[in-house]
Amino acid sequence: MSQAADATHAHAPTSTGIEHKKLIMWLFLASDCMFFGTLISTHLLYRKLYPTGFTDAEGHQQFIQKLFNIELTSFSTFILLMSSFLMALAVSAMHKGQLKSFRRNVLGVIFFGLIFLGCQVYEFTHFYHLGLTIQNSVFGSTLYVLTGTHGTHVAIGVLWLILLYFYSFTGKLTGHMAGLDVEVAGLYWHFVDIVWIIIFTVVYLIEYLGPSGFWGTGLPLAQ
Amino acid sequence: MSDAVAHDPDFLTEEVRRYHHFITLALWLAAITGAEIVLIFLPVPMPIVLTVLSLMSAIKFFAVILWFMHLIYDHKLLFWIFMCGLVLAFATYAALLSLFSVQDIDTKWFS
Amino acid sequence: MSHDSHHAPVADKMELAPERSDLGLFRPDRTRGFFDWLTTVDHKKIGIMYGAFAMLFFLVGGVEALAIRTQLARPDNDFVTARMYNQLFTMHGTTMIFLGVMPLSAAFFNFLVPLQIGARDVAFPRLNAFSLWTFVAGAMVLNGSWLFEFAHLAGWFDNFAWHKALVYTDFVPANGWFSYAPLSGTFGQANAALQAPRFTGVGTDFWIIGIQILGIASLAASFNFICTIVNMRAKGMTMMRLPVFTWMALVTSILIILAFPAITVALIELMFDRQFGANFFNPSAGGQPVLWQHLFWIFGHPEVYILVLPAMGIVSEILPTFSGKALFGYPIVVFSGAVIGFLGFAVWSHHMFTTGLGPIPTAAFALLTMAIAVPTGVKIFNWLGTIWGGRIRFTPPMVLALGFIWMFMCGGFSGVMHSAAPADAQQQDSYFVIAHFHYVLLGGVLLGLMGGLYFWFPKIFGRMPNAGIAYLATGMVILGFNLAFGPMHYLGLAGQPRRTHTYHAGNGWETWNYVATIGAFILGLGVFLAFVNLVYTAFKGVKCASDPWNGRTLEWSLPSPVPEYNFARSPIIATRDAFFEHKHGVQKLAYENDGGEAGVHMPSQSWFPLLAGTGFLIIGFGMPMMAMGVPHAGWMVVSGLGVLFFGIWLWALEGPGGYMLKTPDDPHGAAAQAKAAASAY
Repeated sequence: MSQAADATHAHAPTSTGIEHKKLIMWLFLASDCMFFGTLISTHLLYRKLYPTGFTDAEGHQQFIQKLFNIELTSFSTFILLMSSFLMALAVSAMHKGQLKSFRRNVLGVIFFGLIFLGCQVYEFTHFYHLGLTIQNSVFGSTLYVLTGTHGTHVAIGVLWLILLYFYSFTGKLTGHMAGLDVEVAGLYWHFVDIVWIIIFTVVYLIEYLGPSGFWGTGLPLAQ
Repeated sequence: MSDAVAHDPDFLTEEVRRYHHFITLALWLAAITGAEIVLIFLPVPMPIVLTVLSLMSAIKFFAVILWFMHLIYDHKLLFWIFMCGLVLAFATYAALLSLFSVQDIDTKWFS
Repeated sequence: MSHDSHHAPVADKMELAPERSDLGLFRPDRTRGFFDWLTTVDHKKIGIMYGAFAMLFFLVGGVEALAIRTQLARPDNDFVTARMYNQLFTMHGTTMIFLGVMPLSAAFFNFLVPLQIGARDVAFPRLNAFSLWTFVAGAMVLNGSWLFEFAHLAGWFDNFAWHKALVYTDFVPANGWFSYAPLSGTFGQANAALQAPRFTGVGTDFWIIGIQILGIASLAASFNFICTIVNMRAKGMTMMRLPVFTWMALVTSILIILAFPAITVALIELMFDRQFGANFFNPSAGGQPVLWQHLFWIFGHPEVYILVLPAMGIVSEILPTFSGKALFGYPIVVFSGAVIGFLGFAVWSHHMFTTGLGPIPTAAFALLTMAIAVPTGVKIFNWLGTIWGGRIRFTPPMVLALGFIWMFMCGGFSGVMHSAAPADAQQQDSYFVIAHFHYVLLGGVLLGLMGGLYFWFPKIFGRMPNAGIAYLATGMVILGFNLAFGPMHYLGLAGQPRRTHTYHAGNGWETWNYVATIGAFILGLGVFLAFVNLVYTAFKGVKCASDPWNGRTLEWSLPSPVPEYNFARSPIIATRDAFFEHKHGVQKLAYENDGGEAGVHMPSQSWFPLLAGTGFLIIGFGMPMMAMGVPHAGWMVVSGLGVLFFGIWLWALEGPGGYMLKTPDDPHGAAAQAKAAASAY
């Protein structure tokens, strides 16, 4: 009788065969595409309108290539990619019921996620010291809000994974539902990674195309 | 994939194969990212660089969706749901970007 | 894996033994009355609560409208100040759209969608409750601004330091329901305290956070409904056998999840401009205020289809029922709904024809806007095809549905007039626009929703509204609304601008403004009468049969009011309009062998969606109070975030729970039918 209840509840057949949690997460990710699309296009729009970058507090034109630290950003991109890899391993481990392997990999994801966040914080302070603030230019507004929103998504993901990690010690993270829950967390994490793939290309890399960047007439750093 | 299934030998072999796929994929992603970073500093004409960069980003993007996020193994509906969001975002914002022009900006008021 | 559903099936949830969740707290399954409603996850109760709040806010928005019309009845009037007038039309629009129409549509989705697809509840019952309570929080935040305004006008804040320091003392949103930048934004240089100069006070901040919270509620509900419709259909209920109302619920939900992110981001950007000195829309730093218009209307245009598609779905159910015929061209009606939804994303700049887009974009958007009239027209022809040759019964829902067709068409005609950009150059910001959208919203959406109320009330409450009063109210609404908004076509073409608190005599506008005000009061009385009668009916109306209209869809096969488990046995569907075929055709409804003594699985009730919603309430008041400069208001926001986080976290930790509820032997003889079905399938 309890098995029948189990069967009805845990394995209620869905019309498509897709589990509810998975379907709803993909719907959320489709929606999040529009969300990040709006933020990214706001940034790109203003880059298109103002190819000369931004003016700092002293009124000097700043060259964005000099502002960005492409080595640091590349490093944090690699970190995020590798965290995505570890997440895939964590999901795989959970599906196989290998709790210890899951915990190791999830801890890795959390660790790499925190490194990424640390790099972002460092980058923000670096920009701030070079004179870019949220108030003093449109470029500052769009850059900080875009990358900050992405960073907030990463932070929420890290929090979620930390909670999952500790939950795995309660003995309740077992069976099919556990695999599903971890997979759904993994979907969120991977999405945050692919958004960064786009941001890295169209916000950072693109500034280095040609001597004055993709957007055109970048001025040299004022002396 | 209940506990019973998780110990099914065919399922486990499948998982082992996926594990190797993940490692291969991760290495390729890293390599492509490295190639992108090198590329932007090479003296190649901009349209080519742009095309190659876009292609590489798209490859990374779809590789993560299809393999890390399992879409290639899952029901097709999930792929199309995500595509709806992606394509709509891309089309809407491409249109929005095209509506703004540098010619309309008068910079003397705020530089 | 922990599961709490290992109890013996019970006939009534009050027979359950007290049960603790994974958190160790008692699940509120055994509550009755007030606490039962607060913790319910039953889609039917949630639908009723949405409907009740919606009807309340319709009346609030209506009072705001009557105040507007009173002010405009005569030239150079001073019934309200100019500022109050701006607040009134802003709140009227915002309330009607977000707190009136959308929740009433949500009420119908909630109540009907699981029933129409043959399911026992939605995919995520607690998420459903969360949507409701978050909506309530947003509604309280938006209308709470009035309380602040009245307190200010009464002088209650005069002795506070923060109040004395305020540059602007408007507490209610006053920038229109679309709150255009730069009026709503900032200008000039932000100073050290990040306080960039701005044009408006805290009212704008109330609007920003209120709409943001409401957006989250709508998004959560839509994710839930898409999942439900796609994933929880009864056996044999293929997508092309779904009732058109459910299809429209699906398309509407897809529109919501794809359109709301744009306004979410726009609101974040505006909030950053106002609170943190960002420059998204600040012209002094190079921000482009027109970007706000773009982002708003990228959301805003799909939003109007979000408003109208549910009403179209309702009409698509009412017309076949009272014509005694199946819907004409079902696949085309469904396809047109989907095309309208899709094209709705491509036309946003038709709200911006006068912003200097340039000839090519203007032409492109004009053409696409004209194109969207095509699938709409297709739907109308299909509705006409449905009625044609039928045996029409002019019940109140039918009269309202027929009114929809005619009045919505009028609104559509003025819409197509707008789509011609050169003509729109004159019509923009004039009363012609007001005439257009009130014809589609009132003549269309309101009549459709009222039709739905009269149609499904007997199912929801088991009581029939009085037909005489229904006809009277319908007549007053249709007469009143035509008197109010018909003349506005003329007034707009004669040059009367929108959003101006008064006008001078001598422009030839006086007579029709007066007529419009009379019409508005008749309309208001009609709506009030209808709502009062409906509420009375819910408690004391004449009881009626479970299928008083000879309905076509599955919900009519159930008793009225519908029992908690919905279907005693899950139906097996073999055709469209399966219940109608069961009654009058050859194909009988078959049932699965679930339920009965073994029981069906019911989701457990929960406090945590309510808790999470309360978190939003605290954030919603905290943010404007921060903007006011109230000391320590920042801590209010932080604690609101904390409450929200705890609500969600505990919700995740308590586990889904659930219990088994026995269902009676199906009076339709399900056992025998299931036997027959077993041999057929």
